[in-house]
Order: sequence, then C-alpha cells, then structure tokens
Amino acid sequence: MTTTESVPAEASPRAAASQPLLAVDGLGVEFRLRDARVHAVSDLSLTVRTGELLAIVGESGCGKSVLAHALLGLLPGNATTTGHALLHHPGADPVDLVTCGQRQLARRVRGRRVGLVPQSPATALNPVRTGRRLLAETLRAHGRDRADADQLAVDVGLDPADLDRYPHELSGGMAQRLVTALALAPDPSLLIADEPTTGLDRPLVDHTLDLLRRRCDNGAAVVLITHDLAAARRVADTVAVMYASRIVEHRDTDQLFTAPAHPYASALLDALPDRAFRPVPGDPPMLTALPPACAFAPRCPRRTDTCADRPQSTPVTGGGTVACHHPIPTGATT
Amino acid sequence: MADLAARPPLLRVARSRLRLRPGRAGAVVAGLILLVAIVGSLLAPLLWPLDQSAVALDQTRMAPSWTHLAGTDDLGRDVAHRTVYGLRVSLLVGAVAALVATVLGGVVGGIAGTLGGRVDRILMRIVDTIAAMPHLLLGIFIVAMLRPSLGAVIASVGLTHWLSTARIVRSELLSLRTRPFIDAAISGGAGRFRVLTRHLLPHVLPRLALATTLMIPHAVWHETALSFLGLGLPPHLASLGNMINDGQGSLLTGAWWASLAPGAVIVVVTLAIAVLAARWRDRLDPRVRAELHL
Amino acid sequence: MTRSPRLAGAGAVVRRRLLVALPVLAATSVGMFALGAASPVDPAKQYAGAAAFTASEENLAQLRANWGVDDPLPVQYLRWIGNLVQGDLGWSTSRHEPVASVLAARAGWTLLLIGVALALVLIASLLLGALAAYRRGGLFDSALRAAAYAVQSMPVFWLGLAAIAVFALALGWMPAGGLTDVTATSTSWSDVAHHLILPVGVLAVSQAPWFVLFVRDAVAESMRDDHVLAARARGLPGRTVLFGHALRTALLPFLTLVGTHLPELVGGAVLVETVFSLPGLGAVTVAAALGSDFPLLAAITLITTAVVLAANLATDLAYAAADPRVRLDG
Repeated sequence: MTTTESVPAEASPRAAASQPLLAVDGLGVEFRLRDARVHAVSDLSLTVRTGELLAIVGESGCGKSVLAHALLGLLPGNATTTGHALLHHPGADPVDLVTCGQRQLARRVRGRRVGLVPQSPATALNPVRTGRRLLAETLRAHGRDRADADQLAVDVGLDPADLDRYPHELSGGMAQRLVTALALAPDPSLLIADEPTTGLDRPLVDHTLDLLRRRCDNGAAVVLITHDLAAARRVADTVAVMYASRIVEHRDTDQLFTAPAHPYASALLDALPDRAFRPVPGDPPMLTALPPACAFAPRCPRRTDTCADRPQSTPVTGGGTVACHHPIPTGATT
Repeated sequence: MADLAARPPLLRVARSRLRLRPGRAGAVVAGLILLVAIVGSLLAPLLWPLDQSAVALDQTRMAPSWTHLAGTDDLGRDVAHRTVYGLRVSLLVGAVAALVATVLGGVVGGIAGTLGGRVDRILMRIVDTIAAMPHLLLGIFIVAMLRPSLGAVIASVGLTHWLSTARIVRSELLSLRTRPFIDAAISGGAGRFRVLTRHLLPHVLPRLALATTLMIPHAVWHETALSFLGLGLPPHLASLGNMINDGQGSLLTGAWWASLAPGAVIVVVTLAIAVLAARWRDRLDPRVRAELHL
Repeated sequence: MTRSPRLAGAGAVVRRRLLVALPVLAATSVGMFALGAASPVDPAKQYAGAAAFTASEENLAQLRANWGVDDPLPVQYLRWIGNLVQGDLGWSTSRHEPVASVLAARAGWTLLLIGVALALVLIASLLLGALAAYRRGGLFDSALRAAAYAVQSMPVFWLGLAAIAVFALALGWMPAGGLTDVTATSTSWSDVAHHLILPVGVLAVSQAPWFVLFVRDAVAESMRDDHVLAARARGLPGRTVLFGHALRTALLPFLTLVGTHLPELVGGAVLVETVFSLPGLGAVTVAAALGSDFPLLAAITLITTAVVLAANLATDLAYAAADPRVRLDG
C-alpha cells in the first residue's frame, strides 16, 4: 500500500490550537469473501483533535460504518486492517488501534477512551435486558455509580421511567437515545457516533447534536458519521466527505459548505432541498470492483483523461485537503 | 434534511454457516473409504467367502495377529472376516431402510407441502407428536411385535426415521410455492400434476437424495442398536450389532478386540458419509455463499 | 421479579397443546394396538409361559376367554385404552406382574440416569461450547469440534464397552456394571453413586456432541450480533460479553431444542442400561420385546412419549419466561 503524506486538517479555528487525539494514517480495510474482495476503506488518513467535532458524510455503502468498527477492532475475522490509527492520551503512550490487539482494546480503549453509538439501535440492544440493566452494567464496568443511569437518560432526552422497558417495547427514537446514553456512560474522550439521530424528530435531533457539541466544547472529541448534511453543518468543526472507501475532501465546515472543492462534495450539496434539490446523477461503484481511476469520474461533470489516474490528497488554499485532478476553484480564502 | 439514501443495514459480512466444513482432501479420503467399503462388501462373497455358522473352538479368543488381523471371538471365528460381512449386512439394511423412510417421508411431506393449509397443519402436528416418541423404543416395539427378522428391522428403521425427511420435503415445497416461476407456470395453465413433476420435483429430488444419504448412518446405528440388544438380525448372522453384542461377553474375559473392529468400522463409515454429505450440501445450498451489505 | 405476567397465557397454551397431542397419541395407540394384534404371538400361550406346552387346549381356551383375546379387535382396543386411562396399565406377560409395579420399581433408576446425564451435558456443553465460540477457529475450538464429530459417530453401546474396557477392566477404577457390589448386602448411596459414574458419563459423553456443537455454533453466530458488538464497544469485560450477552441470547432457541432432543436421550439410556446391566426400564424393555409383551411395551412407549411431550411443553414455557419478546396470550 502506498502511503501518501498525510495532511492534517488544521483548518478549524475552534480546534486549531489543541492536541491531536486520533491520528489515522493510511488506514485500509479489506474483506475477503469467497469470490470477491471488498475494499471498504482505502488509504484513509485524518486527524481528530481534542475538542473537535468531525463529521464524516457520504452516501450509504461508502465505508463510513466500517471505519467506525475498524477503529474499535470490531471487524469480523475475514477483514484485514492495514495502516495506523494512533490514539493519544494524556499521561500515557499513544496506542495504535490497528496493531495493539483485542486484549488492549478491550481493557483500555473501548468504552472509556473510544465510545461508539452504534448504527441501527433496534438491533444494537440486548433483547432480553432492560435499558436500566444495560446502563447499570456499563456504568459498573467503568467504575461509575449505577445511580447515574437516570441522569444519563435525562441528558439524552429519555424519560428515566422508560429505562425499565425492554428494547422491543421502545420506539425507534427511544432506542436511539438509549444507545446514545449507553455510549456516553463511560464518558469516552473520543465518541464515534454512527448515525445517532436516526428516528428522532427535529427537536430531539437538535438536542442530540447539541449534546455532542457540548462534549467537544468540554474537551472531548466526537466523530459524527452521518448522511444528514444539515446535521453536519449545524455542529461540525470539520467535515470529511467519503466516497467509495476514500475521503475525497476534508475541510473546515464553513468553507466546505460555502465553496466545495471536490465535484462530489459539490454534487452532494446540490442535492440539498434548500439548494438545487438535484440528486447526484448515476450510482456509486461497487466496493468489490473499485476502478484504479478516480472512482467518481463516471459521474463527474469535470472529468478528463487525467482522471484515469487516481488523484492524491492535496492541500487546498485556506486549509484542508481534496483528492481531485480538477478541483472547483474555491476562490479567495476568508 | 437531506437523506442521501435509505438507511443501510449495519455492517453484516456474511456469516459462514457453521457446520462441518471438510476440505477437498478430506472429501477425497472419505470418498475412497466409502468406495472400499461398498466395493469390498459387494465383492466379499466372491473374494473371501464366509460360512456364517462355522466355528473353530480350538482358536477361541486369539489376540490380533497376522493370521487374524482383528483377533478371534468366543467361538474362534475371525473378527476381521466377520466384520466385512457385518458391514455388508449393515450397509444393505441401512440403505434399504433409509429408502423406505425416504419414500414414507417424501409422500407425507409431499402431501403436506403441495396441499398446504389444513392438511399441512394436521400432518405436521402428527409428525411433531411422533417425533416426541423415543424412536428406539418405538423401533423395539415394532420389532417385538413383528418378531426379530430382517424385514422387521427394516420396518422398524423405516417407520421411525421418516419424520425429518417429511419436514425437509414439506418446507422445500412450501418455499418453492412462493417463488415466481411456480406462479408463472400455474398462470401459464400448467396443471397441478404437471407443476409437481416438471417444476417441483427437480428442485426437491437433490435434497431428498441428500437426506437419504445422511440417513444411512442413522439407519445403520438403529440396526446395530437393535442387533446389540438381541432384537435385530438372527444371532448367528455376522452383523455389526451382533458382533458388538457377542464382544461384550468376550470383553469381560479380557478379549477386548472382539467388538473393536466392528465398532471402528461403524465410526469410520459414518464419518466418511458425514464428510461427503457435508461437501454435497455446501454445493447444494447457495445460501452458504457470502453476501455482503455495507 | 416481574416475570409472572409473562406466563399469563400458559393455561391457554397447555390446553392448545393437549388438544393437539391427545388425538395424535390416541391415533398412535391405535396403530400400536393394530401392530400388536397383527403379531403372530398368542397372548394366552405367552401368559401360560412354559406351562403352555403342557396345558390342555381347554385351559388355554379358558385363558383366552378370561383375557378376551377372541373378542372383536375394536372391543379389545377400547377395553385396553379404557383401562389405560383409568390407570390400569395391564398385566406384563414377560414379568408376570402388573405393568404398573414394573414401572414403579424401574422408572426411578432410568430417570436418575437421564436426569444426571442431562444436567452434566448441559453444564459441559454451555461452558465448552461458549469457550470454543469465543476463540472461534482457535486450537481449543478445532480440537473440540473434531472430538465432537468423532464421538457423534460412535454408537453409544460401543462407547460403553470401550469405557468398561478402559476404566473397569484395564484401570480398575470403576465397576463394570450393576448398581451395587455383588458382595453388598444393602444398598448404600455411595456404592450406587460409584456404580453410576461410568453409565452416566458414557450417556453424557455420547449425547454431548450435539449439544456442544449447537451451543458453539449459536454462540459463534451470536458473537457477531449487533447487540454483542455493541456490548464489546462499550468496553464490557470479555466474560460479561460472552456469558451475559452472547450466550444468553443464543440460549433461547437452545431451550426448546433440549426438549426435542429428549427422545434421543431415552434411547441412549436404554442402551447404556443394557451395557452396564442396570435395573432400569432398558432391561425390562428388552426382555419384554423378546417375549412380545405387548402391554408392558405399549405402556412404556406411550408413557415415555407423554413425558417427553410434557417436557417439551415445559421448555417452551421456560422459553416464554426467558424471552420478554414472546407473549403466550398473543
């Protein structure tokens, strides 16, 4: 695997001065199937700083969720992870999440240092336990008082009385808030939230997003995986746009939303209802058959012959990176 | 709000179906073993004739040696020689009994699966209840009422082992009924019989054949168990169960080898059939193939 | 605990099951009776036993009249089933005593054998299967699976003989059979326990593969369930994830499957009792079969079936109690 020089996103004014918490470098995830190989994450590099809220956006099936599972070492046995993902911690040596092994991950990383709000809360809850038992168990495992359960429920906007219900008795939105509370229970320094606003109505979406924002303002960091661009715009410091297993653009939120550099990011923004409301033409490629060329080229209005070579991540004026041979000029920096 | 796509299911990389997963080498070895067992027991009367009632009282309970590879039993009979014949009888009884059970199960399952509805419910309830009868006890009952004999043993195995076949055939037919190509055939004017023979049977037969093969070891066990209890084949006849039963007496006098060879043959042949059937099932079942949603 | 409301519909379930099981059991009993009637054995001669050879035709005819064996078959069937329902199980022709007293004297030992073996199998399979699944593909997993497939293809009576050859004859650790020492004058519990170690062990080992493989596969699959991954992501200790989450949910279908596997256990017990000469139902069943003792065989088969059906019902109710998603009254 070729390693590109990683260009950290030092764009955010809110997070610029702080320490890097997670430094992902050249991360690749590949699944071996009987008759195919799936490249779910390819040569991915990014940095998350303390206090930063990074949103990873992209269409379904681009590899966002695999990235979350890869960082926590939760991939199945037929997956191979390559590259590095250094997790820094004040007063301790950094841990490489890719190479440190299950024992380290289980004892030192998961829950406490890196938390996960899993996707599809309906299946992420043990069907035979009540929310309160799950919460109490998690609190106890991390040395916290089980009485904190009620407060956690209130924090995520869940009525504490609903903790005594079984998962099948919860609505989709209630289950979503419960899995968020479970992820928050160990108070992780880095929280990976995989679509944490699914099934919530608008006020609760905002409530949850503000909760994540407050965590960052209090010194933790959050990676928000979402396909809701409005949510990303509302709370994220930086936004990474993922397409076909790669990050194609990673920039400061305001800059990306005002002047996207990658044609795919631009097309995504055009799909927003308050903009052109025009869906991205064409379909994303299969992860089993990724071209050696730029994966977006078949759908791209700016493609030329040079797009047969895969573009590398390059810095953009004003900070951030883009991987495109023909980026849209971003104009003057603010 | 911009939903870029419908929500995808969480990462779910194909879980391989968990079961015996023999490699190619294992399958080849198993195939060779079965080939030797079948050909050997077919040709035995030509190559190595046996007088079933012969005894050699001057050679009783001899330990395994080059002249008697598996030793001799209480009556001085060569254990290896009789084991070959025992396997012959057991495989024959097992195959015939498995066939009887398959026909019975195929008919019941076929009726339930093609008619569906109330008939299906009633038949399956009956199957469920009979499944609650310990089949060895039921088998003993059948043999006892018919008096121990070859026919009784085959009836006993056949009448107690058809349940799983009936369930397989029924569920296969029911799932086929919902497939579009059956609808197409019916709306194309094909009669019920034509749909059954042209469209349903070709799909069900491979599964039925697999079920029959997998049943042979069960049938062999059942036969040997009955013979072991003295309720199976006539005692002088060399059958694996009879030999293990005879060996029980020899064992207490120190001749442990008398039931070793017949038992080992059962284990090896059973394993070989299981390995081959597992390979076969993997080929037959496309659902094992990996599927991926990211 | 607030479990009791979950069993609210249990009564209805029991009634529904009985409604299904009773007609089928009745039909089965007709089938068995028909088979018995087709049997070439003359019950009168059988009853007379060795005396039949010397008894006069008159005496035998008298016996037949007493037993009603010359009545039309439906009449005979109704009399038999009527007596059965009233608790009169009939007269055992092979043991020359009432069937009920045969069962009373013997059933306890068989139940003990099956019960202890089942408990052993369950504990061992849960532990071993879960551990194998946790380190799926590892050395322990491979060894356990290989052993399970090997044992699964060994007939239980052969396994029993092998155990006797090794542990009783070669090593001399255990007695080779029976329930008490031949020299013993009374039945002491320690002696019985010593005699039961081998039979129980053989029955448990012979039944274990199916259970071990099932638990192992179910837990291995459950380890990839979303909620188990989520539990791991929360940083819960491995033991909690394995036993509290993966095993717990994988076990729910296991409960009902244990019920359906009971008939196998009964068959295994009959064979093990024969190998170890235990005075349970196995030995009398074989003797009854050799003597074509219809009343005893039919009673044993029907009663065992009823017990298995009841056990199935119990495991299904336990399933409902263990899984909050299942509602009985629905």
